[in-house]
Amino acid sequence: MNIELLTLSEIKEVFGKEGNFQVNVTRYPRYVDTEKCIACGICSEKCPKKVVDEYDEKLTKRKAIYVQYAQAVPLKYAIDEANCIYFKNGRCKACEKFCPSSAIKLNEEQKDFTVKVGSIILSTGCKAYDPGSHDIYGYGKSPNIVTSLEFERMLAASGPFGGHLVRPSDKKEPEKIAWLQCIGSRDVHLGARGYCSSVCCTYAIKEAMMAKEHSKEPLDAAIFYMDIRTHGKDFEKYYLRGRDKSGIRFVKTRISNIVPMDDTGKQLIRYIDGTGKRIEEEFDMVVLSVGLEARQEAIDLADKLDIKLNKYDFASTTSFEPMKTSRAGIYVCGAFESPKDIPSSVIDSSAAAGLAGSSLAESRWSLTKTKDIPTEIDTSHEPPRIGVFVCRCGTNIAGVVNVPSVVDFARTLPDVVYAEENLFTCSQDSQELMKEVIKEQRINRVIVAACSPKTHEEIFIENIVACGLNRYLFEMCNIRNQDSWVHSDMPEEATQKAMELVKMAVARGATLHSLQEKKISINQRALVIGGGVAGMNAALCLADQGFDIILIEKEKQLGGMAKNLISTIEGADVQAYLNDLIQKVNSHFRIQVLTQSLIVGFSGFKGNFTTEIIVGPGMYERKIDHGVAIMATGANEYRPEEFLYGRDKRVITQIELSEHLKKEGAEELAQVVMIQCVGSRNESNPNCSRVCCQSAIKNAIHIKKLKPEAEVYILYRDIRMYGLLEDYYREARKLGIIFFSYDQDDQPTVESSDKGIVVTFQDHVLGRKFRVCADLLVLSAGVVAEDTEEIASILKLDRNTEGFFMEAHVKLKPVDMAMEGIFVCGTAHGPKLISESISQALAAASRATTFLSRSSLTLSAVTACVDKDKCASCLICVRSCPYEVPRINKEGVSEIDEALCHGCGVCASECPAKAIQLNWYEDNQIMCKVDALLKGVL
Amino acid sequence: MIIADKKPIEEIIEEIKDYNKILILGCNECVTVCEAGGKKEEEILASALRMYFLNKGREVKIDEVTLERQCDHEYLEEIRDVVDQYDSIVSLACGVGVQFTAEQYHSTPIYPGVNTCFLGATEKRGLWTERCQACGQCVLARTGGICPISRCAKRILNGPCGGSTKGKCEINKEIDCAWQLIIDRLKALGRIDEYEKLFPLKDWSTDRAGGPRKVVREDLQI
Amino acid sequence: MRLQYPANIKIIRVPCTGKVDIMYILRAFEKGADGIYLVGCMEGECHFKNGNLRARKRVEEAQKILNTIGIGGERAQMYNLSSAEGTLFAQIAVEMTERIRKIGPNPIKLAKKKIAA
Repeated sequence: MNIELLTLSEIKEVFGKEGNFQVNVTRYPRYVDTEKCIACGICSEKCPKKVVDEYDEKLTKRKAIYVQYAQAVPLKYAIDEANCIYFKNGRCKACEKFCPSSAIKLNEEQKDFTVKVGSIILSTGCKAYDPGSHDIYGYGKSPNIVTSLEFERMLAASGPFGGHLVRPSDKKEPEKIAWLQCIGSRDVHLGARGYCSSVCCTYAIKEAMMAKEHSKEPLDAAIFYMDIRTHGKDFEKYYLRGRDKSGIRFVKTRISNIVPMDDTGKQLIRYIDGTGKRIEEEFDMVVLSVGLEARQEAIDLADKLDIKLNKYDFASTTSFEPMKTSRAGIYVCGAFESPKDIPSSVIDSSAAAGLAGSSLAESRWSLTKTKDIPTEIDTSHEPPRIGVFVCRCGTNIAGVVNVPSVVDFARTLPDVVYAEENLFTCSQDSQELMKEVIKEQRINRVIVAACSPKTHEEIFIENIVACGLNRYLFEMCNIRNQDSWVHSDMPEEATQKAMELVKMAVARGATLHSLQEKKISINQRALVIGGGVAGMNAALCLADQGFDIILIEKEKQLGGMAKNLISTIEGADVQAYLNDLIQKVNSHFRIQVLTQSLIVGFSGFKGNFTTEIIVGPGMYERKIDHGVAIMATGANEYRPEEFLYGRDKRVITQIELSEHLKKEGAEELAQVVMIQCVGSRNESNPNCSRVCCQSAIKNAIHIKKLKPEAEVYILYRDIRMYGLLEDYYREARKLGIIFFSYDQDDQPTVESSDKGIVVTFQDHVLGRKFRVCADLLVLSAGVVAEDTEEIASILKLDRNTEGFFMEAHVKLKPVDMAMEGIFVCGTAHGPKLISESISQALAAASRATTFLSRSSLTLSAVTACVDKDKCASCLICVRSCPYEVPRINKEGVSEIDEALCHGCGVCASECPAKAIQLNWYEDNQIMCKVDALLKGVL
Repeated sequence: MIIADKKPIEEIIEEIKDYNKILILGCNECVTVCEAGGKKEEEILASALRMYFLNKGREVKIDEVTLERQCDHEYLEEIRDVVDQYDSIVSLACGVGVQFTAEQYHSTPIYPGVNTCFLGATEKRGLWTERCQACGQCVLARTGGICPISRCAKRILNGPCGGSTKGKCEINKEIDCAWQLIIDRLKALGRIDEYEKLFPLKDWSTDRAGGPRKVVREDLQI
Repeated sequence: MRLQYPANIKIIRVPCTGKVDIMYILRAFEKGADGIYLVGCMEGECHFKNGNLRARKRVEEAQKILNTIGIGGERAQMYNLSSAEGTLFAQIAVEMTERIRKIGPNPIKLAKKKIAA
């Protein structure tokens, strides 16, 4: 209700400034009235014009009137003017003729209008690199050379080949597929981009794993790469699974040319392997792992908005303000900022919303729309009076199912007092009529037989609530998606099935009773746990929006891991930033900082938590009531046990080297060796620590700048300078920093000597051992989570095996935790850069605002309910609940807090005493459907 | 708690296949907690039996009742009025419940639906282990809280025996040697000197050796 | 997508396959259903963490019981699908129908007819 979606619209001009922008928009015609379109698809079926389908990567055809893909929002058809016959020669209008809801508006015109907004968020995304611009990849020469996006569609069950993995040229199952990485990325040649696209390594592994699963015969999947960059949270484990379990071959080499073999449809790839041997291999298919790049439309938009772009045409931002563009009040999120994956994009988007929210905090709720709800009628003493509304959905249902006979049948069912058919039950006029019928007939249970509850249930429920009925006195059956659409070639069976579905719904209708949704108040105070960069940013963002914050830190001072950092790789001064941040936090009247504090107790649920802490050297106890909590407990640099660390003071970590360079410069340094992946990507910590490659390169460049003749060696496994960081890797090589790769099972060896630390390692190119005597051996020690075992057990929060907190959903909810009202950010969630911590902190604050900005919260009534008399206090619900909600109370029976229950129903189906029921899904409310369906079968 | 395990359905069928009116009697105590004979298991068994008989072309009356406990007369009285409607009862209670029900209702044949296994604890869901053999003379005070009667295969009181290897019992490498556990525990408690004291001969008369046992509490009776 | 599949399949909505009690499965057969299958989220992607894993265990248990009493465990199945796999959904509907056709109707129905006759 409070999001207005303007599709097919373009920003023409923007005037004004932060807090008061005037945006001139041009909306191009869709030629379909979105209010009327019911997405039945008849227009598309009848449209005579076939057009190449861009969504299916041009592998299939669509019509000139279409929806881009099945999950499109809004799910409304649109006419592609450039291809429509009517717009070419003025004839056809098949869509208009057949549309059952008169939604086609062929005379629709472009509209220019102005919207007034306080902030603007740019989320224009990116596009895939077009390998056709480089003829060396042979793209376009052979149908069996495809881009990764095309391959993605080929694997999709709803894609052009129905999910059967076949070679495009002859539809035979491939036996060998090669993926070539860095197509259009990490390449400074004409037409390509110098940066790393960040996402291609992980998606190539995913595609190769899926391809192997799709193949009947064992598939040889080979990935040709320069560095495998699986730096995302838990992605390294995914890489290992692909390599060790799925058996994907990883070949470290860059392929510069593909030769299509015309007679066999295969492609020849020539390369030099790790041992220097020249190899020729033929593959049935080659997948080009294409990178991401800025869209021209976004570049044009940036020009209109007068915001700065960087040299790669991404929106220019800074280390400490990663979501802010160069113009105040305009924010950026997602891949228009830099190439990034879904979780990072989702984090950015919440962060941008958080910043926009801070800036507009004063005017919050001023334009918000709300709905009036009438008082509920008590129907609990009435016998069921069921009304059945059967939708024809134009011809969508009625074209297959004999709707009048379904209505007649419905009238014969028990408790049914009224049944009718509607052309479109969801249309505004049908809804109004339905309201009248409900009142006239004193209907107290409403059944709608129409389309999917997923899209329409809420519309009908709102309608019955407007009549004073309880929202749980409603049942819907899907006689379109589950019937007329999928049984269109057997109308008799479809009609029979529609009757059965209605019979089942009516049976359930009679068992439904009113349920009361609990309204809980929300304590509008937030608890932020951890006073590092992430915690402080989250606290400030919330405080700026007018919420009171208690920030607790276990150390004496705020600052966290950033206290040890000197500068970012971009050259920004971390200490200056941190001091400023600490000063802002300490002086903010809404933030109370409690240092040297420990959490000792925790209870409550979303909106109403109570945390007990022990504060300060005096160890006084304090109870804090708060509505949300943000976990920002941070991480530390790993303390190495390897490579003489702690035994020879010439062996230091990257953080120590930064300090050393700041204090003493590089004058004494003639030779420095750095070893990557110390304490990461090994057995005890299988994950990549994400930040160590850039720490090493940052420090190496610093040494070279201080003392150009110093020799710096970096011994690495894969250099993971993802995104725009790649530029620094290229700079490091230009400055003469020397990179050697080593194998995990052939680690460098180190010895102390008077002259220095002697480091011995294997060089793969020359095939012999190298020895360097270093003044300093610098270990790129990984990132280890802060010890949060106790806090996690007190708050009942999930952590992964490495001790990082788990988000509720890796991709879709990257800052929410499984327990509602608790959010995670910064390195507590996984290793990340300062800029990434900041954006995640803003995202956590933004998500927290969705609770804090409201005074109360209405809970779903679909929760589990215990019958005390039947409960055997066996603990099985306690043990089986995925969210640890049930507990045995003082009465000795199970109690399930409705504010914490997620409504999955696992406890109800596991209870050995059958003492638990899930509201709205009680056993008889489900089994009555089975009984109704099978009545008379025996 | 008494730990029981579900009897295979085929075994139950074999016993009751000739009856026509069967009452499945669940118990809401131990067997509910160990997921062998509560309301849920009773419903599953009843449904399976109904299907079995129908499939054999016989319509057999099968009803279900869960009693709070089958080891108390008062609870058993709850089926007094209906018991005559049945020609057999399958009790899902432990052996105690089955017998008590049989004693209460002499004329109706009764069949056990579970195997009563031991006195034990739930280690985690789906795993129960033995802890007590109800010997009637508890020795746990002297063994650091670890019972050699229930947890040593030989029930020896001055262990370990020669079969204890690397802390495991010779009869099965997965079973901890109870005496190893006792020694470790006593050491941890700083009471290892007590281990040196020999156990006197145990009076086994309170165990099964003395025949069926009873506990009499005069103070509770009038 | 509208892929055609047999009309003998009726869907009952539950919040999670973890809500499907083993009794629902058994009772449906008792009432004369020929086959039942559960469609849950992909393993590891359960919206409620692990409801689909519990559902799979219950289907396996139901299969054992159905085999023991001569109804045929194959009549109960568990599938895992993502919401983007409409094609597979239709394939499974066809596969399940074919499977049941091969095994034949629920034997209780035939037995019951015999009793009546």
